[in-house]
Amino acid sequence: MRMFNLQRFLKRLQPKRISAYFLPGDMMVLALGVLGVFYLFQLLWSTEHATKVQIRLADKIYATYSLKLQREVHVPGKLGDTVINIANGKARFAKSPCQGQYCVHQAWLSLAGQAAICLPNQVSLELLGENKPYDSLNY
Amino acid sequence: MFKFFKSLALVALCFALSACFKEPLYHSQSYVFGTLVDISIAGESDERAAMLANHVFQNFQNLHNRLHAWKATVANQPSELGELNAAFSKGEAPLKISPDLAQMLLEIRTLSEKSEGLFNPGIGQLIGLWGFQRDEFTAVTIDAQKIKALVKANPRMADIVVNNQSAYSNNAALKLDLGGYAKGYALDVAVAYLRQQGVKNALINIGGNVIALGQHGNKPWRVGIQHPRQPTAIATLDLADGWAIGTSGDYQRYFMLNGQRYCHIIDPRTGYPAQHMQSVTVLVPPQAANQSQAGVLSDVVTKPIFIAGATQSSRLAQAFGIQDFMLIDARAHITVSKQMAQKLHWVNADVQFTTLP
Repeated sequence: MRMFNLQRFLKRLQPKRISAYFLPGDMMVLALGVLGVFYLFQLLWSTEHATKVQIRLADKIYATYSLKLQREVHVPGKLGDTVINIANGKARFAKSPCQGQYCVHQAWLSLAGQAAICLPNQVSLELLGENKPYDSLNY
Repeated sequence: MFKFFKSLALVALCFALSACFKEPLYHSQSYVFGTLVDISIAGESDERAAMLANHVFQNFQNLHNRLHAWKATVANQPSELGELNAAFSKGEAPLKISPDLAQMLLEIRTLSEKSEGLFNPGIGQLIGLWGFQRDEFTAVTIDAQKIKALVKANPRMADIVVNNQSAYSNNAALKLDLGGYAKGYALDVAVAYLRQQGVKNALINIGGNVIALGQHGNKPWRVGIQHPRQPTAIATLDLADGWAIGTSGDYQRYFMLNGQRYCHIIDPRTGYPAQHMQSVTVLVPPQAANQSQAGVLSDVVTKPIFIAGATQSSRLAQAFGIQDFMLIDARAHITVSKQMAQKLHWVNADVQFTTLP
């Protein structure tokens, strides 16, 4: 029995069949479509919504949670408990024992790469996605 | 036709494979200089990267303790800068200082002159008066008389005399606060150390000032620039080997009083916080060995531009040999230098901005 050979199969198929159905212009459309998908994938993925939140306390990773499940996290910082809310694909500093409350004013974060820090209590949030839109943040 | 499919399959294969061959990336963060410090090292084993990063963090902590502007001792270590400031205020005889601190003072004087006095780390008393020499910033009662007196005393870097690794000041009102310099200096120290250790690829972020060593995989390191009023990046850019980026903003260290924002960047001419800008970002190329390095410049150059405002920006940036900068003024209008415009990738494609000629 002869083994199935893809190359030979395509070769037999090729000259008459494919060109009979596809004109060169069709192939162009197809190629542009494929390139377009790649391009959009690369473009849109970078600002894609985050899937997880990483919470850091001082120099340690305190916890990493999915953004899908609603929860309230209490992080014991040096000034006291920082309360972090996670809900509907977003996360935020809900309560903080610091004076300035800059962290709480950052409100909800939802995009990959977004970050908020509470310097006095040394707690930080970073949203993670499939791809990082950047390696580090300049501020 | 078949060839076409074959090349397409090859492209798809490349995409799939590139995901597998990711070089190791070590990431670590800590709180030093009263801010968040973040170190990424690529292409080294986790153990070696951790060892190197810890060494850098220790260096930073040591610098922080030595250069602390308003705590006499940090972690049982007396602040060298604090002792020098005490000697300045008493008008004492020259005080012996470390060779590297002497070098810093000379460098800061040159930078201050280049900035036409707008970058002035000698106004520590004003910075303290505005409440920015504390761990947390709350509104202060504005003491107009005292501010006036301190501006009149006119402490300048040129009042410091550095001789034979000792220093004294001709002006008792001069009080050093290296808040606009030490983080940039630390970036350069870290890069020099990592290079000397044979590290090819690293990214160091001290409180938002970032410097790059090598690249990340087969692409340059990519940095996001924080939007001054939203919890998101406004743009991203590639940071090539040896380049540094720095931003001065009114959104990290400030307080609100009667609906007005007072930020930590004080205009030495008026004694009041600068109020024309939300943020100023500069991108600094690698520098020749015998002058100020990229890290220092990324920290320093934003300050005079922030204080002087948009109209003076090109001239001031040029004085430091910098071509890439972005300004966001108090009304949120964005201005970008021509060179910078070519490097930025805006997060929001509809963003409105002016490009300088």
